[in-house]
Amino acid sequence: MITYRTSRRTKGFGNIVVLILHVFTVKGGMEFKTRVKNESDIEEWEKSEAYDDYIGFITAMNKSVTAIPLNKTLILSDEIKKFLRILNMIDDWITEVEPLKESCRFGNKAFSTFYNLLKMRLSDILSNEILLDDQQYVTELTAYIVDSFGNPTRIDYGTGHELSFCMFLCGLYKINILKQSDSKATVNVLFSRYLEIVRRLQLRYQMEPAGSHGAWSLDDYQFVPFIWGSAQLIENPDLNPNLFVDEKVVQLFKSKYMFLGCIDFIMQVKKGVFHEHSNQLWNISGVQSWNKINEGLIKMYKKEVLGKFPIIQHVPFGKIFQFKQCDKKKTFATSSTIKVSSQSLLEKLKKPDTLEPNIINK
Amino acid sequence: MPEWENWFEIAKQCKYLPENDLKKLCQIVCDLLIEEANIQPVSTPVTVCGDIHGQFYDLEELFRNGGQVPDTNYVFMGDFVDRGYYSLESLTRLLTLKAKWPHRITLLRGNHESRQITQVYGFYDECMNKYGNANVWKECCKVFDLLSISALIDEEVFCVHGGLSPDISTLDQIRVIERNQEIPYKGAFCDLVWSDPEDIDKWTISPRGAGWLFGSKITEEFMEKNQLELICRAHQLVNEGYKYMFNDKLVTIWSAPNYCYRCGNVASIMEFSSVHNRKPILFNAVPDDQRVIPDKAATPYFL
Repeated sequence: MITYRTSRRTKGFGNIVVLILHVFTVKGGMEFKTRVKNESDIEEWEKSEAYDDYIGFITAMNKSVTAIPLNKTLILSDEIKKFLRILNMIDDWITEVEPLKESCRFGNKAFSTFYNLLKMRLSDILSNEILLDDQQYVTELTAYIVDSFGNPTRIDYGTGHELSFCMFLCGLYKINILKQSDSKATVNVLFSRYLEIVRRLQLRYQMEPAGSHGAWSLDDYQFVPFIWGSAQLIENPDLNPNLFVDEKVVQLFKSKYMFLGCIDFIMQVKKGVFHEHSNQLWNISGVQSWNKINEGLIKMYKKEVLGKFPIIQHVPFGKIFQFKQCDKKKTFATSSTIKVSSQSLLEKLKKPDTLEPNIINK
Repeated sequence: MPEWENWFEIAKQCKYLPENDLKKLCQIVCDLLIEEANIQPVSTPVTVCGDIHGQFYDLEELFRNGGQVPDTNYVFMGDFVDRGYYSLESLTRLLTLKAKWPHRITLLRGNHESRQITQVYGFYDECMNKYGNANVWKECCKVFDLLSISALIDEEVFCVHGGLSPDISTLDQIRVIERNQEIPYKGAFCDLVWSDPEDIDKWTISPRGAGWLFGSKITEEFMEKNQLELICRAHQLVNEGYKYMFNDKLVTIWSAPNYCYRCGNVASIMEFSSVHNRKPILFNAVPDDQRVIPDKAATPYFL
């Protein structure tokens, strides 16, 4: 909870970008670099293919987990299992790195050790696990996942890091590693596991909220689990929105619904009254339906996260996420550089799940 | 009876003023602040306070512990707004006190009293939520621009929000800063509200991306040259409320208990009867059951 000047927040990610640019210069590939340099570039980002792909991904996943709680059994594809294994490995690496005993004002410096481990190991693992002719895809995906767990210099974590993880997931769809049938598990298994890991990091290394608007933020650290979590709650038989601030209800349903899991974590780490420390959520508990909450959160995410320069200035664009203007309404995963069927993944995901071979009702 | 008498009563109840009244209040305070010096002279007895960060109930607890204005004189070393839920109410409370007893309360500028920072850390969003437009925020920023940079108690205790600057070796150099502006990205003015003391000798780059980390030797030289007894500053959370460094030549004072609703820390203020006779007063966050629950507001995204 230290204040940083926003305009010079480039340290952590800069290193990776420099490294990657070096690789690309050697191989002569497409540049992978940050493109939003000042406030006025935000408009260009919002018109880019990358933005269109990303929003397509968020809404497609949102649709896929609508009314699907976490305890619904899903049969996992080999690809989902593979990435779950990688996340489990990351969790083990946290165990390897003990927090330093000294009291650290700016978060525990052992996080930097963890981060270096992560950067080093993930690069090898992804090269072995993602078998593609084009090494640039692997390099870009590695950069996104490495940046998903927080900043090693400032020892903070926020919605920018969460965005990076979602770009990693979205990238896996764009290069056709994950398929439409993986979408429920992408949220309920992979993203859910990711949340456990970043929460563990936040607590273990006393990570600070990155650029949090204090009591006026939705949450100190996350945004996306509130979106997808509220989708899970649409037409649920268990609770109306006004009950999610009730501690007993939270305890009862925190494992079933991602949204309630988020509220549980807030109640663990915050001291004081809910309406004061989490006023936005307090207000949202007054909204009539989960459907309205879900729609509102997507609007809010576009404006308060994707529309913010301090966050987007750190995002690199390249071959997977292209910064060029999105001319026609091509959506998610129809990038011209990648051979996929002409129908966009978003379109595919919109279709009713007629097959459901991967899903068994409990 | 001047109209701010009424505002004073409203502000005490953790309420905010109608837009036009707050604008008038800002103007009254601006007219007072413009007369103050960059280093505002203050005399003992006086009580020095650190960051508040929109914690209205805890600000009232501070007054209950330190004494009400005008019975006690105060120096507030900045960071009144951001992070907490009641930045607007806390700032309004301090501004009404300033309007009513300008010589009993000295308000200094913190790094959060800035357009850029308030847009990231909450105060801007709060004004938008509570007023539905940015007019009040703009007026408040004009007040911020006029806040004094530092205070000097009995010519020997230097109070500033952050710390020292490599561009400043004498107090006279502070006196000539053009302070009526947004806090710059670098340079003396920026450093004074952004720097932190550290267990080093001289200067190091700050992890905050603004200001510097300054060490014991630097501090010693600055104090000797300017014949100072103590530097009081805020800007960094101290779990114990206050912390002396550099052979007790510098003290950090932190006045936001349970900072960010998560740190569980105690807060403090420092009561000076004279330069050498001072005592810290510790206080805790106001318990949950003494805070009023606001109505659920309809946020535009969800309509």
